[in-house]
Amino acid sequence: MKGTAYCFDLDGTLTTTEILPCIASEIGVAEEMATLTRATIEGHIPFEPSFRLRCLILGRVPSDRIREIVASVPLNESIFSFIRSRRDRCYIVTGNLDIWVRPIVEACGCGLFSSVASDEESGLKLHSVLQKSDAMNALRQQGHDRIVAVGDGMNDVPMFGAADVAIAYGGVHPPSPAAVLASQYVVYDGDTLCEMLRAL
Amino acid sequence: MRNVAGAVIAAAGLGSRLGMGMPKCMIEVNGRTILSRLIETLSPHVPLVSVVVGYREDMVIEYCARHHPEVAIARNPDFRSTNTAYSLFKGAQVLNGKVLYLDGDIIISPASLSQLVDRTAQDDVVIGVTEAKSKDPVFVNCREIKDTAMVTQFSRCEESRHEWANVFVAPHDILKGANGYVYECLERFLPAPAAYLDLHEVDTAEDLEQAKPFVMNLDSARRQHQGV
Repeated sequence: MKGTAYCFDLDGTLTTTEILPCIASEIGVAEEMATLTRATIEGHIPFEPSFRLRCLILGRVPSDRIREIVASVPLNESIFSFIRSRRDRCYIVTGNLDIWVRPIVEACGCGLFSSVASDEESGLKLHSVLQKSDAMNALRQQGHDRIVAVGDGMNDVPMFGAADVAIAYGGVHPPSPAAVLASQYVVYDGDTLCEMLRAL
Repeated sequence: MRNVAGAVIAAAGLGSRLGMGMPKCMIEVNGRTILSRLIETLSPHVPLVSVVVGYREDMVIEYCARHHPEVAIARNPDFRSTNTAYSLFKGAQVLNGKVLYLDGDIIISPASLSQLVDRTAQDDVVIGVTEAKSKDPVFVNCREIKDTAMVTQFSRCEESRHEWANVFVAPHDILKGANGYVYECLERFLPAPAAYLDLHEVDTAEDLEQAKPFVMNLDSARRQHQGV
């Protein structure tokens, strides 16, 4: 058995700002992207079609430039340190694209479950959109006997449902009501979150 | 090293005897809520405070997010069918080591809480007792054993000067699988060290009235201490 796996949502949990609106500012649609992102977090729009739409819009930005932007997105220091100190048991679980979030995953040195895309001559090609409950199933198959999940949005609800301990985190913005209802704990401070994770 | 790893405040209950339509911890006494008073009294002594919410949880969660974002909130959605021991257990799951457990409807003098925390340096279990004054008390018998005041018995019928304060220090896993009242879960540790606490519990409208002069005294002592 591999013991406890710690799973973290990326946008607005590990990062102290939402990533997609940062990328969108590159092409002057940051506000529109922020509105779409917020409506998705709050559950007004289903995650998958919203994410496909956002990829379609942001696909105009070259992936190299996106990775530069992602590398400069600030991270919550406490959560980052927690992940670095347990990198073999920590996973970023995000609907965001593998080819975009690579700089953060490399900095953390942890595992990743994400949506998958590739750069093609014709442009960005989206291969799969992550269902976070699938990531939980994969972790069980890998031998983790306990999963602690941390997230803030509607798309974290399936992850919470499949985890053993679910923590709704509101460090950047209040967690969505659905995420709170699916959680056992609610926390608004990164230091407090990590204190809890160390004790759990 | 701190004596206790954290504190758990049980704030999930209905507070039906008071009938104010909100959790008792959200009642304001002399301009500040019971919850804020508790958190501020606890903060100097513990690295982490865990608040267990249930009845009208949205209200308490939003209040904590705004005024006490450093606390951990434990949800007990089954608050209608579970007891305080279960709520306290849920809150203590995010803590390791010795934990200070409290009901969310008490106002406690900071000086007496400090004394209780000091007592926990030597003992794993310390039981808070207070002057008997509530309507439906759980009386506590205390006896000096080797110069230390020890709780020897809880009783509903055998009257004594002291009652159970609904405050105690014990390991984080002590209430795992607990049934019944919290004090019943502590009976197997008796005799256990007692710590006298100066506090008021707010169960009824009458309790609330009685707590007001006590709170005003605490607030004026606090202002004097701060030189205001």
